[in-house]
Amino acid sequence: MVTTMLEVKSLSKDFGGLQVIHDLSLSVTPGERRVILGPNGAGKTTLFHLLAGTLKPSNGEIFLDGQPISTYDAVKRARLGIARSYQKNNLFETLTIRENLMLAAAAALGKSTHMFKDTSKHADIRQRIDEIAEQVFLEDQLDQTVATASYGNRRQLEVGLALATRPKLLLMDEPTSGVGPNMIDRFHRLLEQLPRDITVLIIEHDMDLAFGVADLITVLNFGEKVFEGTPTDTRGNATVRDIYLGTGGDHA
Amino acid sequence: MDLSFWILQFLNAMQYSMLLFLLSIGLTVIFGLLHFVNLAHASLYMMGAYIGISVAAMTGSFWAAFFLAPMFVTLIGAVLYFTLIDRMRTAGPMNQVLVTFGLIFVFLDLVRMGWGDIALGLDGPASLSGTTRLLGVDYPAYRLFIIALGLGVMATMWLVLARTQIGAMIRASVENTNMAAALGINVSKLFFLVFCFGCALAGLAGVAAAPILSATTTMGITILIPTLIVVVIGGLGSLEGAIVGSVIIGFMETFGAVMIPSFSAVLTYALLAVVLIWRPQGLIPARG
Amino acid sequence: MFYQTKLRSITLIAALIFLACYASFGSYFAREIVVEIIILAILAISLDLCAGFGGMVSLCHGAMMGVAAYGFAIMSAKLGWPLFPSALIGLFAAVVFSGLVGWVTSRTNGIFFIMATLAFGQMAYTFFFKSRWLGGDDGFGGISRFDLSMIGLETNDSLVFTYIGLVILLLAYGLTAIVMRSGFGRTLSGIHVNEDRMKALGINTAAHRAKAMAFSGFIAGLAGIIAAQHTLYISPELLIWTTSGEALIVVILGGLGTLVGPIIGAILLVLMKHEISNYTDYWHAFIGLVLIFTVLAGGRGVFGQIEYWFNKLTQKHQSTTKPHGDDHA
Repeated sequence: MVTTMLEVKSLSKDFGGLQVIHDLSLSVTPGERRVILGPNGAGKTTLFHLLAGTLKPSNGEIFLDGQPISTYDAVKRARLGIARSYQKNNLFETLTIRENLMLAAAAALGKSTHMFKDTSKHADIRQRIDEIAEQVFLEDQLDQTVATASYGNRRQLEVGLALATRPKLLLMDEPTSGVGPNMIDRFHRLLEQLPRDITVLIIEHDMDLAFGVADLITVLNFGEKVFEGTPTDTRGNATVRDIYLGTGGDHA
Repeated sequence: MDLSFWILQFLNAMQYSMLLFLLSIGLTVIFGLLHFVNLAHASLYMMGAYIGISVAAMTGSFWAAFFLAPMFVTLIGAVLYFTLIDRMRTAGPMNQVLVTFGLIFVFLDLVRMGWGDIALGLDGPASLSGTTRLLGVDYPAYRLFIIALGLGVMATMWLVLARTQIGAMIRASVENTNMAAALGINVSKLFFLVFCFGCALAGLAGVAAAPILSATTTMGITILIPTLIVVVIGGLGSLEGAIVGSVIIGFMETFGAVMIPSFSAVLTYALLAVVLIWRPQGLIPARG
Repeated sequence: MFYQTKLRSITLIAALIFLACYASFGSYFAREIVVEIIILAILAISLDLCAGFGGMVSLCHGAMMGVAAYGFAIMSAKLGWPLFPSALIGLFAAVVFSGLVGWVTSRTNGIFFIMATLAFGQMAYTFFFKSRWLGGDDGFGGISRFDLSMIGLETNDSLVFTYIGLVILLLAYGLTAIVMRSGFGRTLSGIHVNEDRMKALGINTAAHRAKAMAFSGFIAGLAGIIAAQHTLYISPELLIWTTSGEALIVVILGGLGTLVGPIIGAILLVLMKHEISNYTDYWHAFIGLVLIFTVLAGGRGVFGQIEYWFNKLTQKHQSTTKPHGDDHA
């Protein structure tokens, strides 16, 4: 039985002399909520690029559910069950929210290449759209065009697109980035309600959210792992405090 | 086939490469700096040839045509810039392509209106009408002139880009337009200068090619295809890419035509296909 | 994304009725014009599929049409094969050609894509132009129209041929509409809007685009078969870049991404061309200016602009959406 969903061994990435990730190893159990913390430039987003397959590692190996995926491209990894929500919205701007979810649902249900049937009418696609819309609190906004939707709704859709493929591993890059205080609660709820059959890695700056939702926390600095532990241990750790001096836990 | 045959072909390939270079460098630099694809670039080349022929007919001098035709073409370019190009700069690549594609059609008929449908010739200068002994062969002096012209432009551009202030400004603006503007570089003026220079090169290539290729209404599209292939292979915006691409295509087409005449036409396209599959961003793109 | 709206259906029917009437009540010359419109409209629909929905602006669609036409002509007129199988071979050849071009260019975008398709289209043109067996520049004749006498249709009658053409136009439109509305078509639209995200959703976008080009080649091939049977003669002219250029102008003039726009554009362009030709030889300049003007005027094209105004008008009467949360950071 596989006891790790994601296994990263000695992962490194350098850009011609600039080492962005150095000898990073971590192990995430199925259903776990792992938060990745670290100051700007610590390599968190680069780590996500390496996991999702949009960047190739210079060294090291990645295993998804026991399967080595380091040589697979982003498309293949997505098919294997890795999904991603981006820090900067990466949506289908000119389409409606429903159409956005439709594309994701069709991709997930293997209907993207069907040439003759109108997939928007299929029951399973409609069902998936409704389910995800409910999960990310967008049931009333489905017919809005993304470009004219509110920023918060767009952040919700950003998560929705990733969830629509029912991934094994969900990489969330600062899901609450730019979201105002009124909406933060909604995102807290969203994250808490994510089903446990999805393993979640979250990059977050919102400390309350991070400590509230995390099972374990991994702290990065200058591309290296400097600490890993439970929220309580993390709060009490001197190294982590030093890194976050002035920006840390006191910030509500 | 003896050595002299191959030397002749080598020189022919060089001459064709230089012609391609003159055209592709203008196109690629305009894209690299203005992010503007001017499909009508080859139409300006055609205008250069026809205007050159008219100037030569009026003045009786090839050299007058050689210097004045590029100037007239630059003038046309400047008019285009202020009426269309500047407005389209922020319109997105698709609209730029459409508008300049429309211009191709317009220029096609302008040439027909002005000069008719029959091919026109241009006599080269008397000073270059004979042959010169080079590398053991007798080679037309005029074609050597074209090789020298191309190499001269190549060297000048390299020096300007690498060693001068304006070259540095151009390189900076290619890499990061906003930053360059923030540093106080007058980017708009630079764009206009570069655009005019590109047009001048196109006109120059046209009038230089006229004695060899004659001026026809199809000369634009005939050279546009290999020019575009050079730019795709070499990478948009790259001087080195334009040089490498021109030489590769020039040599491939010239030697291909003599060695495997039935397949040579396909060679260039096969190379294009290979590059598109293997390195879609070109061999030496200007930006990463 | 594509939806077969009422406005589009009405416009489509109106256009077809107009063409049918024009052919029926006009002279022999009117029928020639209508067939010309049909061929250009089908070609433009096939281009709209790629360009309007896939964002792939191709300049080799004329070549796709020409490949099908030559395939059909070679099999039937040169090799003596029966007509329907010959047409199928022609269509197959077009699909293979466009599929290959689509595959080679599948990882390129925008400007490179346009340049590459222009080059490959020219390659096909050169191939037929230089082929002495196929008559080179002059082409060859001896092509026959389908024999439909078993269902009482005399295809050599120009009016009958025109009506058949209209039916094929409707079929071409219908087939393209169905495919654009399917999962395949919607995914293609998605790739156009955000290729990166589509990849992240697990879609092999390059393969998808190549398939779209191949299907587009099939539709363009239909135009090619009609073209060959119309003049009973074929020459490399179908593959000249200006043919592809005209198709592009028609799509932009009519309305990119609407599928009906290309039909309107074809009607307008062919009628304008014939009018202008009465006064001058220089209609290339004219259609070039038409293209420039259409782009400068906003780029929606005639039908596209009508649709835009129509949607704006009807939106004013719709109920407003529920207020959404205020949550901008």
